[in-house]
Amino acid sequence: MSSTTATSGLSRARRGLAPGGSGASPGRKSKLSAQTTRTFFWLLLPSVVLLVLIHGYPLIHAAVQATHDGDLLQTGNFVGGENFASVLSSPAFWKAAQFTLWFTIVGVFGSWLVGLGLALLLRTKIPAGNTFKVLLLLPWVVPIVVSSTAWNWLVATPDSLIPSIFRGLGFGTPLFLADPTLASITVMVFKVWVSFPFMMMMISAALASVDTTVYEAASMDGASKWQQFTQITLPLIARSTYISWILMTIFCVNDFPTIYLLTGGGPVSATTSLVVLAYRTVFQDFATGPGVAIAFLMTMTLVVISVILYRQIRKSSVE
Amino acid sequence: MNVQSAATRPFSRRNFLGLTAAAASVPLLAACGGGSATQGGGGGAGGTVKFWDMPWATPAYNDSAKKIAEGFAGANNAKANYQIIQWNNFYQTFSSAIASKTGPAVSTGGGFQAFQFEQQGQIAYADKVIEKLKSNGQFDDFLPGVLDPFKSDKGYVAVPWQLDMRVFWYRKSLFEKANVALPTDWPSLLEAGKALKKLGAFGFATGAGSGNNYGNHSMIMMMVNNGGGVWNKDGELDLLNDRNVEAIEFVRELVSNGIVDPAAVSYTTDNMSAQWKDGKAGFGLFQVNVPQRVGDTSGDLLVADPITGPHGDKATIVFPNNIMMYKNTPSQDASEEFLVYYLGQLKELWKQKLMSALPVFKSITELPEFADDPNNVKIVKDWQPIAKTFAAQGSTLNANLAALDGGQALNQFSQSILTGQAPDAKTALQTFQSGLESVLKK
Repeated sequence: MSSTTATSGLSRARRGLAPGGSGASPGRKSKLSAQTTRTFFWLLLPSVVLLVLIHGYPLIHAAVQATHDGDLLQTGNFVGGENFASVLSSPAFWKAAQFTLWFTIVGVFGSWLVGLGLALLLRTKIPAGNTFKVLLLLPWVVPIVVSSTAWNWLVATPDSLIPSIFRGLGFGTPLFLADPTLASITVMVFKVWVSFPFMMMMISAALASVDTTVYEAASMDGASKWQQFTQITLPLIARSTYISWILMTIFCVNDFPTIYLLTGGGPVSATTSLVVLAYRTVFQDFATGPGVAIAFLMTMTLVVISVILYRQIRKSSVE
Repeated sequence: MNVQSAATRPFSRRNFLGLTAAAASVPLLAACGGGSATQGGGGGAGGTVKFWDMPWATPAYNDSAKKIAEGFAGANNAKANYQIIQWNNFYQTFSSAIASKTGPAVSTGGGFQAFQFEQQGQIAYADKVIEKLKSNGQFDDFLPGVLDPFKSDKGYVAVPWQLDMRVFWYRKSLFEKANVALPTDWPSLLEAGKALKKLGAFGFATGAGSGNNYGNHSMIMMMVNNGGGVWNKDGELDLLNDRNVEAIEFVRELVSNGIVDPAAVSYTTDNMSAQWKDGKAGFGLFQVNVPQRVGDTSGDLLVADPITGPHGDKATIVFPNNIMMYKNTPSQDASEEFLVYYLGQLKELWKQKLMSALPVFKSITELPEFADDPNNVKIVKDWQPIAKTFAAQGSTLNANLAALDGGQALNQFSQSILTGQAPDAKTALQTFQSGLESVLKK
């Protein structure tokens, strides 16, 4: 074998080519890569342009509004970070942030727990299981305007059904929407009620993909039901769980109608979340800059939370 | 040379990209084209006046208003088209449309909307309309004082077309059952409230839940009823005046005595109506046409007399809803001609009993369809003459009132009073004033 042939063979081997294969010269390969890149670029360009128009323009416009003292019609004067500073130094903002935090925690984990419980229950063989599944979806399917009106009539006045039941049981007449603490709890329970079907469906789908032989093997190894749940079920549905948490976190933080239709953010701001505060600041106080600044702060917080949970998804995938 | 026909030539990447670019440009070009179609969009094409109206009453109202608007036939073949704008986010709807030059030429809208858009240079003054109303006799037909709040230094910002009054209503049978006289002043209001409470009814019915501004209006009404108000005569914030403090202390007294429903703070307007219908509300501030609204036309719900404040003042509040013209119009003459025409046709709406507000024209108040209801007559006779706007103690409306009406500061204030959370009237008013100052345009 000549030295030239040996060098060529090593070179081909390094490039991962079999003997006799034609291969392409490095120059040709990089040329193809550049062309491919250009093709991708041109193929993507229309979508990118549309995305920029649909998302980028409003975002830039909102950024302009957040840094100016104008209104919905006029940009006004540039005020830099003044709107952000005034929002961050406002007690109303922090009160709303606190409520949003609790609303999100209860909304995400409350609906997840209820959804998980029902998904596990529906996995067992119960009569008319599919009918129950459809019925349990109703809170999610029914328009929020309808369900909030129904809830309002259930709890709003001292003579509504739920306060009447409480009174009948000797618990006095709770003012579910008029007492600040009770109103907060009512709104959170309403959110859980509206959201659990979504969680139930996500978890049901994840559970459906779990191989039942895993449980049989665990049983044979003497694992208890609780151990099977904590050591098999939860880890196997972890990826789906994290995704549902991300989505529900976004749903809760951005949830306007659930709160606004039921309480309007009251009484005395007890149920004012950040999105309600942003809405009221822009459309009731006509203070566009501070309102948009609140929305920006919400978006940034949501991005951070989403990134953290997304990392958890990747981690659970690796595991 | 190998020449292939176009049909047999392979579809190259370059061709594909070209086609993609062409396809992508279609919506962009269409979007650009759309701009020219709506240019001068205030009126659309061919001298058509675009009239935007709100759902002021049942859908039958909008059907009737549409018929009136579309019956307009002006000079130079001018016409009008009619569009309903929902109350949800209405200000944003108007703002976006005006900013993109696709807004109306003439519209109804929020009570202070005309002043907001005037501040932004979008409103066409109605002075020529007023001149025409003077020449056709309609000017003298206005109820006293309804036009004055719209006159600014530069001209008439809008023209009123209906009055959303706040008046006291009562349920006659409850007062008879409680064997108590109708309130004529604050002490008797307190006494009547105590008597009604024994029957499980409330003597100062109100509500401040989602979308319900009656709680806010009750607070301002009581201030105005005591000779106070949010502003002083020069239009400056004046919430901490003695009359306001006294009025709010009195409301706190009503709350602490259980004369205000403890759940009122969360009541929507529907909840409030239900309280009236169910006989839980004995006396309280509400709008025109309450029997029709709550569904009790038995004659048991009646308009009360205005009550007198401790210093002899007697007043209520009114929201003069108005029609405004915008600068972006196909023809200002057509806009004015349409507005004069529309004002002349308003009587049809009251003839058909579609309105839950007072008319602004005396001739309409004299229509049998309106005057047959003694409650209407009483409101016109006893309440309209003492009605003041949200600008009280001042008289001219302005853009700042939009931030007051329905704004967070007033809402928080009302709710803090109705829940009894406010430690005292002065502190609550101080917080209200600070909140309002932070959002008012300097």
